[in-house]
Amino acid sequence: MITVTINRKKINLEKPVTILKAARMAGIEIPTLCNHEMLEPFGGCRLCLVEIEKMPRLQTSCTQYVTDGMVVWTETEKVVEARKAMLEFLLINHALDCPYCDKAGECDLQDVTAKYGPATGRFAEGKRRHPESFDDPIIVRNMERCISCTRCVRMCSKVQGAYAISMVNRSSKTFVEPFSGGRYDCEYCGNCLTVCPVGAIMSRMHRHTYRPWQIEKEADTVCSFCGVGCSMVLQVRGNSIVRAVPRETGGSNKGLLCNRGRFGYDYVVSSGRLDSPMIKRDGKFRRASWSEAFTYIAGRLKKIKEDSGGNSIAGIVSGRCTNEDGYVFQKFMRAVLGSNNIDSVASFGYAQAQRFFEGIFGQGVTANSMRGIPNSDGVFVVGGDPTAVNPVLGLQIRAAAGKGVPVTAVGYMPGLKIFAANRPMPKPFTETALLSAMVTELRNIKGISGKGLFDKLIKDIPPVSLGEAEEVCGVPSKDIRSAVDALSRMTNPSIVIGMDIIRRTEGQANLLLLAALVSLLNSRIYLLSELPNEQGLTDMGCLPDMLPGGRHLTVESFRRRYEEFFGVDIPSSPGMGIMEMIEAAHDKKIKALYVMGEDLVYSMPDSAYVKAALSKLDFLVMHDIFMTETAGLADVVIPSLSWSEKEGSYTNLERRMQIVRKAVEGKGMEEWRAVSEISRLLGFNMDYKSSGDVIAEIAKVSPLHKDITYEDMTGECMWPYKGEPLRHGISLEDIEMPDKGSLLKRPEKDRIYIGVDKPLFHFETLSRNSEALSSIAPEPYMNVGKALAGRLFLAEGDSANVSTAAGSLKLSVRVDPDIPDNSVMVPDNFGDKGVYAIMQWKVNSALKAPVTDAEGVTIKKMKHAAEEVAV
Amino acid sequence: MLSENTVKEIGLIRSKYHDAQSSLLPALYVVQREHGWLSPEALKEVGEILNVPKAEVKGVSTFYAMFRHKPIGRHLIQLCTNVACMIMGSENLLNILKDRYGLEPNGTTVDGRFSLVVMECIGACGTAPAMLVDTDFHDNLTEKRITEILESYK
Amino acid sequence: MEKILLRNIENPDSADINEYIKAGGYKALLKALEFKPADIVGEVRKSGIRGRGGAGFPTGMKWAFASADPKKPRYILCNADEGEPGTFKDRPILEKNPHLLIEGMIISGYALEAEYGYIYLRGEYPAAKGILNAAVEQAYEKGYLGDNILGKGVRLHLSVHQGAGAYICGEETALIESLEGKRGQPRIKPPFPVNEGFLSKPTVINNVETLANIPYIIEIGADAYAAIGSPDCPGPKLFSVSGHVKRPGVYELPMGVSLRDIIYNHSGGILDDKKLKAVIPGGISTPILPADAIDCPMDFVNMPKHGSMLGSGAVMVFDETVDLVKICYRAIKFFEHESCGKCTPCREGVGWMRAILERISGGSGTAGDIDLLIEVSNNITGKTFCPLGDGAAMTAQNFIKHFRNEFEKKINNGSVKRAA
Ligand SMILES: Cc1cc2nc3c(=O)[nH]c(=O)nc-3n(C[C@H](O)[C@H](O)[C@H](O)COP(=O)(O)O)c2cc1C
Ligand code: SF4
Ligand code: FES
Repeated sequence: MITVTINRKKINLEKPVTILKAARMAGIEIPTLCNHEMLEPFGGCRLCLVEIEKMPRLQTSCTQYVTDGMVVWTETEKVVEARKAMLEFLLINHALDCPYCDKAGECDLQDVTAKYGPATGRFAEGKRRHPESFDDPIIVRNMERCISCTRCVRMCSKVQGAYAISMVNRSSKTFVEPFSGGRYDCEYCGNCLTVCPVGAIMSRMHRHTYRPWQIEKEADTVCSFCGVGCSMVLQVRGNSIVRAVPRETGGSNKGLLCNRGRFGYDYVVSSGRLDSPMIKRDGKFRRASWSEAFTYIAGRLKKIKEDSGGNSIAGIVSGRCTNEDGYVFQKFMRAVLGSNNIDSVASFGYAQAQRFFEGIFGQGVTANSMRGIPNSDGVFVVGGDPTAVNPVLGLQIRAAAGKGVPVTAVGYMPGLKIFAANRPMPKPFTETALLSAMVTELRNIKGISGKGLFDKLIKDIPPVSLGEAEEVCGVPSKDIRSAVDALSRMTNPSIVIGMDIIRRTEGQANLLLLAALVSLLNSRIYLLSELPNEQGLTDMGCLPDMLPGGRHLTVESFRRRYEEFFGVDIPSSPGMGIMEMIEAAHDKKIKALYVMGEDLVYSMPDSAYVKAALSKLDFLVMHDIFMTETAGLADVVIPSLSWSEKEGSYTNLERRMQIVRKAVEGKGMEEWRAVSEISRLLGFNMDYKSSGDVIAEIAKVSPLHKDITYEDMTGECMWPYKGEPLRHGISLEDIEMPDKGSLLKRPEKDRIYIGVDKPLFHFETLSRNSEALSSIAPEPYMNVGKALAGRLFLAEGDSANVSTAAGSLKLSVRVDPDIPDNSVMVPDNFGDKGVYAIMQWKVNSALKAPVTDAEGVTIKKMKHAAEEVAV
Repeated sequence: MLSENTVKEIGLIRSKYHDAQSSLLPALYVVQREHGWLSPEALKEVGEILNVPKAEVKGVSTFYAMFRHKPIGRHLIQLCTNVACMIMGSENLLNILKDRYGLEPNGTTVDGRFSLVVMECIGACGTAPAMLVDTDFHDNLTEKRITEILESYK
Repeated sequence: MEKILLRNIENPDSADINEYIKAGGYKALLKALEFKPADIVGEVRKSGIRGRGGAGFPTGMKWAFASADPKKPRYILCNADEGEPGTFKDRPILEKNPHLLIEGMIISGYALEAEYGYIYLRGEYPAAKGILNAAVEQAYEKGYLGDNILGKGVRLHLSVHQGAGAYICGEETALIESLEGKRGQPRIKPPFPVNEGFLSKPTVINNVETLANIPYIIEIGADAYAAIGSPDCPGPKLFSVSGHVKRPGVYELPMGVSLRDIIYNHSGGILDDKKLKAVIPGGISTPILPADAIDCPMDFVNMPKHGSMLGSGAVMVFDETVDLVKICYRAIKFFEHESCGKCTPCREGVGWMRAILERISGGSGTAGDIDLLIEVSNNITGKTFCPLGDGAAMTAQNFIKHFRNEFEKKINNGSVKRAA
């Protein structure tokens, strides 16, 4: 126990903290400029000087730790004089342009100067001149205001790990700069904006549009871009969002955001937003009233159900729909239309992986707190770059690396490049061989009893030697060996799994191998989730065979429970998954498709095939905020609300339930509300007045969500919050043991493969409609390795045509030496079409997920954008 | 583009340290020796070799007075002007460089023969005034000696 | 006094390992290897040697701290940054007697169980770099360095690391940052380098001259060593003398020799027999002394009692003709240039001091400028992150303390001129 006295106040502490922390805990404010809670102490600004008895010099309270019996004074004359002196020094070179500066009103320097500062400075010579830099589309740098606190640089390097800016020069000539000196070449997380205490680094998006005191409303919400679900605050003036800032505490992100969350919100005001229901007649859309549209939908669905049965109707939910939307929709499909054909893009891998691991290890096993990552003693990543798919989760991996935790990153992951201790780079689509060898080795090192049910399976996995793996995947045996050695020494590692590893012919084998690793290493699992509510949708039963709360439809007792609750029977056999639905549409086995916010043509493989399938439908209903390509094919289009215009809940990849709050008014309607209207027209009463009513119902019926209320969802609510304990798995019937041949499948010689790149700056329709994100990353590209680029005479900046049997894309070329030879990486989501557009239609029949590893690609250099050159 | 030799030499330096970034300063020296200065491309390349982010490389290299971030002449005169050299006549030497060669501090002669940088103490106070020309030390400079010495650098 | 640190340097081949061995070199190492590491630490402690880098910290104590930290590997770093203006005392060791330093480092490495060492050499000494590299190579060849030194199972790897023009990198934590390939800014202490230094491992940093003393301590024993020079501050000391003396240069003299003795006896007195005006006794950041204050014993313990500090033992002598205002201005300009930029008072305040001095020195100072200068320097003193800023403030304060009239004269002359 340490007792310290600050300004006569006695403070008792369990362990030593800095004087600054101790003071703050006791409600004593000490001014600071270079200190920031998210950063390590720096001690540069010298504003926090305090007097400590028995010490001759003033000490910086941000760096000095308390000791037992210490007596500290924070406001003596000597201290106040020193602070005034520091401020006078700072104002020597700091521009005095507060009336013009956007930071005025929330500027730390302004605040402390008002409190302690000298009335006027006595420095007579001219200030440092440094013209404001507008070289960047998003960030404006004004180095006349910089006070060299280095908070931005420490944030950028130590927390974000982007190392995009640095202090350059020294002495009073020091300032902050990106490498180019102009435009940033960075991750645009904007976390530097959070920590800049003055107006030196600011966002251009709200330049001179408002002053902090003009903010009329703040909506405490979560981001809608990816499965991390960062908590954030939307600041509103009039009916528009002026700024998105992270909430300083709580949630999964603890004050951090990524570029999409911070700058991507402007899609909300994109001119392409739908503002009225539309009905297509004679091939042409015309505006319709809400009731007209609902009546039309109800009528058509009723007819189709009567003529062809509920099974001829299918529904797809977007991963951006809320839990409320998902719950109401699956109820509508099951109880009203009598169809279990309900699914979402969560079934492009996430749901399958979750089911697989839960089957073996138990419910909830794939959803762990991200904060556990830096606390593990090793991290193994495979299947996609976490720093791009789930940027803020990626930061936890970087934080782990920063603490010296060894990170092994398998495959192309530019965002982990400088952080990973091991970076095995297998040839295209040969991770299976690598994983097999690792499992084989670890099995030998760790030993397994073979007694447990899953242990038996691990034992049966065909052994693959390092040499065999090397021959197939090209990773040198010694590198696999050292990765294995590193892993084998760990006691609580984290395994982070991206969906690319599942969207494979060998997807199921990969899952088995990963499960074996998890078991052998006793590790935690993290599944990367591309959309904000994939987890929530699977929890809500938006799956062809699962009911809300992760309960199997085929288990009679579960189904009964829901049937009783809904008051109607629901079909007892599983419905079609999303891939099957498209095939069934092709075969005219389904007649009507109800899609909530998913641009299928864009996000599914083989856009031509998907388009053809959708065109064969008798009836297509589409909810969306934009007139997407898929919406263009619909018979009725219902405008949705963007995430900032409605209220509801999301469940993130940690199974953290959080509330999305309304910040501004929109012109669309919540999906759950629209669906309840239609339901009512179809004679099934759904009487929800608010999303709270929906949650209340979920809390009643879903065992996982038992008794949950909105009030519980403060950022720390993870299911089962009050619900039933999680169930233990071990259902191994479905697991098929792969044969050795399939583990060692090698890429075909001289064939070029296409891989899915996750661009940091883009995410489907939303980001394409964000001016900010489009200005950061305006054009889609392909990444190609040095050797292949050489063979194809491609140089950085060239245009190239990438084509497969399914179609072609024109892309600009980037050369990256880290790309495995004979493959190109193409982003899945920006530009007119993503890479999925040119993927062949191929379904993994066991997982019912798309397979993306079968591409033979031709690449042609284009002389100018339009012309092709034969090479 | 760094030459193959330079890359090799950096690799050799790298092996002397337990941590890649520790070899950054020596690596930058090697590059500066080859090119005379550190271009943005060179900084980037060194960063790539050592796995140090390029902005970090720039932040580090600009901290140090002896790294050049602009092209310089064939020979670099680094003349000390700190106290000992100052009282022993370095100001006069600066005038001579200006009069004879048109050389100003941080400037380069029109013919690209010399660049001049004014130095803080170079540890030759006992034989002041002194200068470095490239890596050669010259001290006890006088009006006569400095011109003689410089004439031997073509 | 017999020369220890500068032994044999008149020999043109003194840097060659064979010459060094011929003159008795590397014998201390052989002797040291007979001891246990802890005994050497004890011996160094007993010798009473204080670090020659400027702060005068007891070397044995520093070593004991590092030895007590169980973390491995440990590092031994030689501070050869010699950046303090006026100082050039380490240079003869580096250029003429490199094996003395290397031998000192090997013994230190053995004593500290440090298996890796670096000599952080200032960028401004390109010649020394070549000489040191060659010497290190020779030491490897002869088996004094490597994985199994002299077959005794002792390991030390040594390399030379060149700085690139930053005075602050002489400060030990900035030196470590610089060695780690970073911007050379000082670190927060604690943790101290002895616990978390280079690459966060226990690290001992000693000045060139300090390390060059080690073989001698082993050679003659701690007691004999402690008998040299001042009682609280023993040993031979190198003084670099510059400015207006007849024989400037580096002198090896016992600690505690009087400043007057250094100037008038060893350095031959004032150039052209002019009158002495002032002396900076220990490098530019030590307080200037007026001519009548030079009867002081030059060591770490006594100099503060006489209004200055020993610093690096760099004696800068100014005769009656010098313009001290200009020298003060030049000194502060140096500090401004070398401020690392980390902390506010040094980064901004020293520039301000320079601006005021520039005004005064250029003849456009005004009546209040001296007091303003004092006030600004007071606002820096005691509030900076590291001693550099303090040094700057102290420099100006002492110039004014002793020579205020010269500043006033400049201001008056300037205003007279302006009025005319
Ligand atoms: C601004 C500053 C500059 C310094 N420069 C040097 C230097 O050039 N050489 C040196 O040996 N010590 C220098 N020091 C002292 C070192 O920090 C450190 O105390 C010394 O290297 C320790 O070695 P020693 O114990 O052998 O003296 C400097 C200190 C400060 C604050
Ligand atoms: S006093 Fe401050 S700015 Fe000056 S050198 Fe030390 S840390 Fe850097
Ligand atoms: S907050 Fe402590 S020095 Fe800046």
